[in-house]
Amino acid sequence: MNLKTKTTLSEPELVQAILEKDKNGAEALYDMYSSSLYGVIFRIVQHQEIAEDLLQDTFIRIWNSFSSYDAAKGRLFTWMVNVARNIAIDKTRSKEFRNSAKTEDIENNVLIIDKQVNTIINPETIGLKDLIGKLKPEHKIILDLVYFEGLTHVEVAKKLEIPLGTVKTRLRNAIITLRKLFN
Amino acid sequence: MKNLKSYLESGILEQYVLGDLSVEEMLDVEMNALQYPEVRKELEEIEQALTSYAKSIAIEPSIKAKTNFLNAVNTIDQVNNSSSANTGESYIKSLTFYKYAFAASLSLLFLSSILLINLNNKLNESYVQLAVLQSNNQKFSNQVNYKESELSDTKNALQFYQNPAAYKLVTLKGSAKAPEASLLVALNEDKEEVMIDLSSLNMPSNDQEHQYQLWAMVDGKPVDLGVFDAKNDSTGMKKMKFIKDAQSFAVTLEPKGGSLNPTMDKMMAIGTI
Repeated sequence: MNLKTKTTLSEPELVQAILEKDKNGAEALYDMYSSSLYGVIFRIVQHQEIAEDLLQDTFIRIWNSFSSYDAAKGRLFTWMVNVARNIAIDKTRSKEFRNSAKTEDIENNVLIIDKQVNTIINPETIGLKDLIGKLKPEHKIILDLVYFEGLTHVEVAKKLEIPLGTVKTRLRNAIITLRKLFN
Repeated sequence: MKNLKSYLESGILEQYVLGDLSVEEMLDVEMNALQYPEVRKELEEIEQALTSYAKSIAIEPSIKAKTNFLNAVNTIDQVNNSSSANTGESYIKSLTFYKYAFAASLSLLFLSSILLINLNNKLNESYVQLAVLQSNNQKFSNQVNYKESELSDTKNALQFYQNPAAYKLVTLKGSAKAPEASLLVALNEDKEEVMIDLSSLNMPSNDQEHQYQLWAMVDGKPVDLGVFDAKNDSTGMKKMKFIKDAQSFAVTLEPKGGSLNPTMDKMMAIGTI
């Protein structure tokens, strides 16, 4: 195990290594995706210790149920980030979590966290971070509600008191903006 | 599809990538992705955008999270291996081993018992054979002793015939009392021996209260030379007392143990030297 240098593999190599339960595959899996998945999980639960526990749960679920990933249906990261999001969102909906976080207003905290974690962000993605600021706030809020809180389009429409069609359009526009920024 | 453009713009593909669709809707999107390259391309771009978004908000977890995960993977693999290999197969293997070992032990026990019974029977047989052999041995050694004594008797008897010069053989003839009686007496003056040949003895058998007594006549006086019994199966030579200058021998029947003076009317045989 090497904690300083990161192991990277091509996506097909990584998929093969995980299927073969290769220890190098486990290390590469972690090195390549831990910060991205942790970022998503952290934004959902907003608690470092819980987020690290859930990251662990996420990687173990990925490792143990990897046979359910179908490369033909999409990218590995899309599958993994949805595993991470499901685990983290389930956590936020659990009774114990809601009791402990009762006083905190999650929506408002998202912006605060974004500022707080700036300093520990991966240096490679600092440029990307600046680009996020280019999302329109009315687009970003919908993306965050769907992406980090796991709300369905219908739930977002109810929460923001806007038509369902508008939710769909704004979400699509948010993603189109991201495509323009990143692709 | 009639209206591909509006399908692409409906927002359903974004929902698909975000995992916000029912199973039926997901299958529908997957079918369309296979059928229309435009749908596939749109999905890929949405995925790429959201991946980049996630990367842009990436946070490095603490180093111990990595250690924890890799240790957990090791543990999982060990548990998987041990549950399938160790506790499963090897348990069955060892169970099978003990099953065979038990069967083998039983067979060995059975075999050993048979061998033991067999050996015990043979041992008893050997004891019987040994007893038979010992009794045979006793019989042979008795026979040998008997033959040896017979041989020595015969040798003694033979020396009279082999060495006639040394012995004077006197044949005593039956008196009026016992006309059939006869007795051979051998006399060796040099060795001072007097012997009677019991093999050639031909005297009436004496009863329990009487014995024959041999006398030598020296200058007209009878001298006791000892007593003997006459039996049908007597063999060998019997050594008697010696007296010098005997002129004749006589045998009388006397009370058991012999008498000091011969009972003349019981004179059985007489012979002159």
